[in-house]
Amino acid sequence: MASRERVLSSLNHKQPDKIAIDFGATAVTGMHVNIVASLREYYGLEKRLVKVHEPYQMLGYIDDDLKEILGVDVEGIFPLNTIFGFPNENWKEWKLDSGLEVLVSEHFNTTKDDKGDTLIYPEGDTAVPPSGRMPKNGYFFDCIVRQEPIDEEKLNPEDNLEEYGLISDEELDYFSKKTKRASAKNRAVVLSIPGTALGDIALVPAPFIKHPKGIRDIEEWYMSTMIRPDYIHKVFEKQTEIALENLAKIKDAVKDNVDAVFICGTDFGTQNSTFCSEETYNELYKPYYKQINGWIHSNTEWKTFKHTCGAVKSLVPALIESGFDILNPVQVSAFNMDAKILKEEFGEQLTFWGGGVDTQDTLAFKTPKDVREEVLKHCRIFNKNGGYIFNTVHNIQGNTPIENVVALFDAVKSIN
Amino acid sequence: MNELLNKLAVAIARGKVNQKSPFPPDMKGEFGADELTKQALEESVAPAAILNDGLMIGMKTVGDKFESGKAFIPDMLIAAKAMNVAMVHLKPFFDSGEVELKGDFILGTVAGDLHDIGKNIVRMVLTGNGWNVIDLGTDVKPEQFIETLKEYPNAVIGMSALLTTTMMQMETTTTAIKEVSPDTKIYIGGAPISQEFSDKIGADGYFPDPNKFAKHLASVV
Repeated sequence: MASRERVLSSLNHKQPDKIAIDFGATAVTGMHVNIVASLREYYGLEKRLVKVHEPYQMLGYIDDDLKEILGVDVEGIFPLNTIFGFPNENWKEWKLDSGLEVLVSEHFNTTKDDKGDTLIYPEGDTAVPPSGRMPKNGYFFDCIVRQEPIDEEKLNPEDNLEEYGLISDEELDYFSKKTKRASAKNRAVVLSIPGTALGDIALVPAPFIKHPKGIRDIEEWYMSTMIRPDYIHKVFEKQTEIALENLAKIKDAVKDNVDAVFICGTDFGTQNSTFCSEETYNELYKPYYKQINGWIHSNTEWKTFKHTCGAVKSLVPALIESGFDILNPVQVSAFNMDAKILKEEFGEQLTFWGGGVDTQDTLAFKTPKDVREEVLKHCRIFNKNGGYIFNTVHNIQGNTPIENVVALFDAVKSIN
Repeated sequence: MNELLNKLAVAIARGKVNQKSPFPPDMKGEFGADELTKQALEESVAPAAILNDGLMIGMKTVGDKFESGKAFIPDMLIAAKAMNVAMVHLKPFFDSGEVELKGDFILGTVAGDLHDIGKNIVRMVLTGNGWNVIDLGTDVKPEQFIETLKEYPNAVIGMSALLTTTMMQMETTTTAIKEVSPDTKIYIGGAPISQEFSDKIGADGYFPDPNKFAKHLASVV
């Protein structure tokens, strides 16, 4: 089977010839730039600086030569602008505190504060307050919350809708070209749709906007789901209305060159529980997801991809009812997220995309032998009758020992 | 128990901040934690009773629900907001020593880590349980914990980390603290943390949720 056929077979719950593999197709299934650079060195590939294509988590772009070695079956297409509101273009050199030299967009403009932290700016504009901070010797950025004082009387949902608008012709043209090029590689193509994430806490602070208004503080947003549900509904309603218009345009632009679409990265789980009850999920989120996924299923062949970390087993039936086909990252280390039980209970309806190995503990801190055992165990469970795309539980973190990453790929190859 | 304090406990547990706040909808127009605490003081209820029989009961109610998966992060945050407004009225009595607190607790997210929701919930639960919490914020270097410990030598220390890339800072920090103050109790928490990790780095314990931790502290102090 060619890569695309393999992925489609698995997405359609038919046993593929081999386990399909994704690394790098989405912002939650990638590798820190450290890891990409180390893998290139380990496999003796041509020496070149790795591109940071996702500047928030500092994810490294996996070039075709490395994809071939790792057996990657999926291509990813990202929105025109990164999470800091600038496009990846005209690459320039940049150095992490660790000394690793990488390539970043020409708009990736940073300064250092008096503590030695690195600050990054929305749209690369250093004349406005920074929107991201990487602690000294850190691996990636976190949002700087820029919350204006909240005046209850003046709160206007439009202020939280500044980032949502009709997609530009420029971005449609970009999607058209990128998906065509990706599809020609015979790998499956995942497109990350802009504007369909409902309350993703990484996006709420709007690190891409110069002067965000509305509710932008993380705790305030979480509380608003309880204390200002009408406000949140209005944001989601309008956001969905815009998304449906954009989806129709995107469909026309990308034609048959897309196989799955990344819809939403809102985390509904913590390590031990969920962020909300099933009732809240059904009332606040499900109606909008159903509209988005319903449109996609009525008008395209795309499979819909939902990312949510954490202990979300109790919400999985509602996620399926919402029209999601794919669940990621399948945090098998969280409470009640046993791989075997998940596969038995939901394996016929959901494709599990991830869950290969725990990145918090096993991959980062245990031995190559432990990594191998866990990968083999999870692959055997999840890949039965398809419905599985191999990936780790979230991005491979920057401090992961390279021998563990190699052990991971060797384990999958040994099954394949 | 005083009816007023019962009401205060309910206001805390349900996140009724003040009379003006529209949440929860079924308590619209009623006094919130702000007015009820003020009223209790005006009616000469002892500040210690307000803390023990009002705030602590309210915190315990929402904390128990959180522990059993019936309340969620937003419930805890809104309860914290209600408790914070009540604490403003009680603070002078803590400062004067009229209300005896359980002890000092130094809290912070470790160096390199900027995440604070979990830490803030721990602060809220411990404050509601009668601890004087000194919150050092996020990205706290080992020397900041040690400096603060000089000021509060009998304090218990709590450290938080969300990230796989920062949890090892807990080991560095624990070692540094234990070197200068071997008897200081250090507890850790956060998404990637486990009891096994706590044992490995020489900390005194890990707790998966703040309520369990508060109960443990109450049993050992």
